[in-house]
Amino acid sequence: MNRSNYTSPGRREVLRSLVAGSLLMPGMLSELMAADSASDDPLAPKPPHFAAKAKRVIFVFSNGGVSHMDTFDHKPELFKADGKMTGVGGGLSNQQRVLLKPLWEFRPGGTCGTLVSDLFPNLREMMDEICVIRSLNGNDNEHYNATLGMHTGSFFFSRPSIGSWVSYGLGTENQNLPSFVALAPQMPYAGTQIFNNDFLPAYHQGVRVMGGTEPISNLARRTQVVGLQERELDLVDLLNNRHLAQRSGDSDLAARIRSFETAFHMQASAPDAFDIGQEDDRTLQLYGMERGQVEGFGWMCLVARRLAERGVRFIELVDGSSSHNWDQHGDMAEHADHAKNIDQPLAGLIRDLKDRGMLEDTLVVWTTEFGRTPGVDGEKGRGHHSACFSSWLAGAGVKGGMTFGKTDEIGATVAEQGVHVHDFHATILHLLGIDHTRLTFRYAGRDFRLTDVHGKIVREILS
Amino acid sequence: MVWESRVSKSQVLHIIRCLMLTSLLGSSALGEEPPSFFRGLNLNGSAVVIDGNAWEGSEATFYHCQDKAIDKQEVPLAPATDADRAKMIRSSRWGGNRVELDDIPAGTYSLFLYVWEDNNAETYSISVNGREVLPQYNSGSTGHWEKLGPWFITPNQGRIEITSRGGAANFSGIEIWRGRYDGIHDPISEEELAFFEKRVRPLLVEKCYECHSAESDQAEGELLVDSRATLRRGGIGGPAVVPGDPEQSLLIKAVRYADDLQMPPDEKLSDDEIADLEQWVRSGAADPRSLMTKHSGKKIDIATAQQFWSLQPIRKPDVPPVADKTWPRTDIDRFVLAKLEQLGLNPGVDADKRALIRRATYDLTGLPPTTEEVSDFLGDESPLAFQRVVERLLSSPRYGERWGRHWLDVIRYADTAGDNSDYPVPQMHRYRDWVIDSLNRDLRFDEFVRDQLAGDLRGGVTEQERMQRIIATGYLANSRRFGSRVDDYPWHLTIEDTIDNLGRAFLGVTLSCARCHDHKFDPITTRDYYGLYGVFSSTRYPWPGIELDKRQRDFVALVPQEELAGLRKQQEERERRQEELDRVVSDLKESLKSTPDAEKDSVKAKIKEAEQLAKEFSSQPPLFETAYAVQDVEHPQDAVVQLKGDPAKPGDIVRRHFPAVLAGEDLPESCQQSGRLELAEWIVADDNPLPVRVIVNRIWQYHFGRGIVPTPNDFGKQGKPPTHPELLDYLASHFRENDWSIKSLHRHIMLSRVYQQSSRRDAQSVASDPANDYLSGFRRQRLDAEAIRDTMLVLGGNLDFSSSGEHPFPVQGDWDFTQHKPFKDVYESNRRSLYLMTQRIQRHPYLAIFDGADPSTSTAIRSNSTTPLQALFLLNDPLVHEQSTRIADRITSASNDLSERVELAYQLCFSRPATTEEIEVAQRFFQDARQLLQNQHASPELFEAETWQAYVRSLLRLNEFVYVD
Repeated sequence: MNRSNYTSPGRREVLRSLVAGSLLMPGMLSELMAADSASDDPLAPKPPHFAAKAKRVIFVFSNGGVSHMDTFDHKPELFKADGKMTGVGGGLSNQQRVLLKPLWEFRPGGTCGTLVSDLFPNLREMMDEICVIRSLNGNDNEHYNATLGMHTGSFFFSRPSIGSWVSYGLGTENQNLPSFVALAPQMPYAGTQIFNNDFLPAYHQGVRVMGGTEPISNLARRTQVVGLQERELDLVDLLNNRHLAQRSGDSDLAARIRSFETAFHMQASAPDAFDIGQEDDRTLQLYGMERGQVEGFGWMCLVARRLAERGVRFIELVDGSSSHNWDQHGDMAEHADHAKNIDQPLAGLIRDLKDRGMLEDTLVVWTTEFGRTPGVDGEKGRGHHSACFSSWLAGAGVKGGMTFGKTDEIGATVAEQGVHVHDFHATILHLLGIDHTRLTFRYAGRDFRLTDVHGKIVREILS
Repeated sequence: MVWESRVSKSQVLHIIRCLMLTSLLGSSALGEEPPSFFRGLNLNGSAVVIDGNAWEGSEATFYHCQDKAIDKQEVPLAPATDADRAKMIRSSRWGGNRVELDDIPAGTYSLFLYVWEDNNAETYSISVNGREVLPQYNSGSTGHWEKLGPWFITPNQGRIEITSRGGAANFSGIEIWRGRYDGIHDPISEEELAFFEKRVRPLLVEKCYECHSAESDQAEGELLVDSRATLRRGGIGGPAVVPGDPEQSLLIKAVRYADDLQMPPDEKLSDDEIADLEQWVRSGAADPRSLMTKHSGKKIDIATAQQFWSLQPIRKPDVPPVADKTWPRTDIDRFVLAKLEQLGLNPGVDADKRALIRRATYDLTGLPPTTEEVSDFLGDESPLAFQRVVERLLSSPRYGERWGRHWLDVIRYADTAGDNSDYPVPQMHRYRDWVIDSLNRDLRFDEFVRDQLAGDLRGGVTEQERMQRIIATGYLANSRRFGSRVDDYPWHLTIEDTIDNLGRAFLGVTLSCARCHDHKFDPITTRDYYGLYGVFSSTRYPWPGIELDKRQRDFVALVPQEELAGLRKQQEERERRQEELDRVVSDLKESLKSTPDAEKDSVKAKIKEAEQLAKEFSSQPPLFETAYAVQDVEHPQDAVVQLKGDPAKPGDIVRRHFPAVLAGEDLPESCQQSGRLELAEWIVADDNPLPVRVIVNRIWQYHFGRGIVPTPNDFGKQGKPPTHPELLDYLASHFRENDWSIKSLHRHIMLSRVYQQSSRRDAQSVASDPANDYLSGFRRQRLDAEAIRDTMLVLGGNLDFSSSGEHPFPVQGDWDFTQHKPFKDVYESNRRSLYLMTQRIQRHPYLAIFDGADPSTSTAIRSNSTTPLQALFLLNDPLVHEQSTRIADRITSASNDLSERVELAYQLCFSRPATTEEIEVAQRFFQDARQLLQNQHASPELFEAETWQAYVRSLLRLNEFVYVD
């Protein structure tokens, strides 16, 4: 096995020779390291249950509850019914409220003609790549619980995040980067639980990236002296191997030696993944970005593509925070700012992935915790609505240019082909080649699944 | 409790056949009369005929109601219905909502209640004879009506009382049937009846009842086909019969054998039989079986269940004979050696003294031994030397911190409540400190259990003891809170969290599976779950604050009893004043809505002023100290089963009890309390083998890195069996004989030769027992998150040994946490890591990286992951760099000689001297690093500090630093 070189080969050899060749038994060591490497490595790439269309996922989560009837679910009757007293509405209650018409016109996009509102003019152009699900539904009308449910399949108890499950199921293709990265400049509802490994081994924990100059904590070297860290790690390597040689067969010790090597390389390769200075102007434009920008949703989308290129298995983008988001109880007009923030970057991401041929094996998912009520809440807003809402999928294995499922005339209930959050998860796992009923982890005497005892694959949207 | 014995299939079928012959037209269930109409009552109107049954009017003498009456015949009903019924519905009683019926003969009745909505939707709960039968019912929009029920009831001394709570309810009519009537009004023709009796019923009885009737051992798929209501409701898969629609009927799907669902499982029905069933469903599934059947839950045979290893009584086993008589020092050694010999393995060599003192010190205190402690031990050549070390460590206050943390792992300790806004619980630390103190004073484990479950009901010899016991019930208060809602707060989830943890922590049983269905693997039924549920629904949990109700309440006062009454009075006075101040604010806010724009500013100013007053008042220091602890509710009572775990589907009342399979019984009728005291006694009773096995296994696990039972929280069928069953029972017996003393068990274990083995094993042992299940050597263990951080601090000389007491949370009057802006903080300190503030829904950044305990569920075993993030932490985290600087200063100021310095570094970090080679390696490192600095033109004054810091950083990253041999 090719051991790392913290320092240049020459220096390393010098160091080694100075401490006498007797310290290590190279044969035995390499045997140990080899035995440990591929098979025991929890992040080594694992074959899926069956041939997969998608190799990786970019999962975009818009926080706060995006109104379906103002974005992807055209409800002409709701425009007509404005002011009439028949709709479900009103925040967390199920009281009847005066119906509120959408503020934005709908127009067809792409050659498929999927109707999208004027909130998403750029995404609308990409509709030939996108499958909109209009009949998604969940179990809870609270942000926290619905957000937890969308990420873990559990609406109350903390459970592993979907990204952790995917990492656990498939491992990762780049050992120098985490398998699951959560680009979350701010915390969404339910806090760290949304990218937590919970009972899955900690290797599958989502690594939070906040943006800025040190995207992952402890990535920047703290020593000013060039080369000093390499000397330190050479010493660590030497003494650790010596320690290991006296404790034959302990693969935990060998794995820990290797983790320093990975960390060392991450210091270099992770910043490279985040360095969008390498991108040309055309690409930056695609995402609506300025040169030198190291934050914002455009930056997150572009970084997501760069991480996807580098083999990161699951990349989550958190749009908004628990306190500044799509939760428009008072005035739906505020949806415009939130949509403007993500429309061009998301359209750019899909276009860029397509141009690079990456959309073939990258699944892009956009979702939110719930939709909003047809009835008015506050003065001009809408309440929380988990009975039905819209989300979309694009890329690997998904039929573009289609819509799936229907809501009733005003978008209050699922009318046809409901897709529960569990079904949504089962379908995402299926696209990754994972049978959601077989991706299990034994914990506290029970085999747990992302989809609990539920989940039905939405086969109609598979290409 | 009566446990039904098993009845064979042929016996059941025989009984059923006999019954069929005797009651061809009647019900299907054993011995019960078919339901019959008893009475109907139009609550605000005259006598009327509904569904062919004669109802009485409001003049009926058995009916009492003081409620207001309304009659709004102009409102259109949804759904529309016949004229008589509509008239009855639209005239109703409302207001107080208390309807009393008397003169009802004893028996079982089915009760239906007609309700409707005359204007705006209301939400209310309905109770019958004081028992809630329908929580949080929403009456729907104008004109909506519903016939609620059936609720199966027995009159209370001839009386039935129907009440509502919450919003305004309109009660229109009451319909009562004798027996368990399903309420399906579905007249059946003679022809249909004949077809059913001839073609359908015999088929169902013969082919389905064994697994799908009230008499089955277990209702498979929760489906009963022995009554029309249960057949139409269906089981977990959905409706089994949809009248008129064979394609939507799972029963038809199943008998067709078309896809995965194939019934009967043994053999497909004949084509004729299938055709009969299809025709029956297509023509409307007419079914006379109006008596609603019910499965009373999985039938458990206690004697059989108790044969499972963990439920067998603890018997002190004979110490086994061993071939090698010289190796063992204690009986523990003999048990382990006997197994090794049986497997042809040898015990390991003894650990050297340095490894041993490092191991024991980390094990009992979570810290490394000091250099003096090591040299004292090395110098003590008496055979009692190690025993002295163990005694010294056991009497150190650091012991309770280390082992207290283990218990806090198991009971998922957190300093916040876990609701959507994660409200802080400043008082929680008292419980943490109680745990630490209890371990330090070696409180008997049975007392440790009693105090945590029922300390408040136990009193105390002294006031201090009484208060400590109240604090101990923080164990129950610590149960997780959920959501943001107040009125419909999901108490069933908090109580589930209590029962779940109680099962795992004390019994090694997963009780919470039985919330929704009888336990699939272990002999615990839904009845058992709700038997425990009643104990905790009779317990008042403190309210830590939640988004929509932010103030603490129901915390327990920690004041001497004689002062309590006076202080309570002052407290009530304060609360009254607070309410007044709050009301001023809310009234002003309300008035703002109708204030003309011109005056709005002045009202807003007033609001601000009033808010300030209210806030200042609420920020006063409390009148007395409180504990996050529990008390009994005023009127403890049994709970009802929640069907499929859904509180909106109440089932039967269950007497509070402890599972019989664990030697439990029903709560005595004389008990006026919640039953927690009795529960504690059932748990620690002599004939319950689980708690003792579970705790001695935990203690063994923390010493050896793995339990004798490798699944410490699960001693059930899904767990793993013990590797050394006799040793486990030997330890359990020893524990009981030694007054449930944990410290005594530590001594016994640590003075064994097994504990004192080296962690280096010979090749043969590694080959035949790679996981070291049988202890042919000690198991090398990685330091946990707390020990790694504490060691870095103690070596840097800046570990603060004081307890954190209360965390520096914001002042309570300022609490405004919501799910949008939840409480979130990290309080830096140099105290021991167990004193770091632990949030329930936000992982502590450091503890999350190093496999800290999960603060939302019981952690029985810390996982041992090795991740690049851990390595990055050790490479670049400021803490590592700061501590390395301190340790380097300490070393360089102790001596000027490089060898002596390296020597000290090794003593500090690894409790051993450096070898000559290691000193040489260090010399080369310093030369090399110095060269590097020189080349980069660093100032020579920096050389020493920089290079020593770099050296120490390297040592802190070594496997030898984080692993204990």
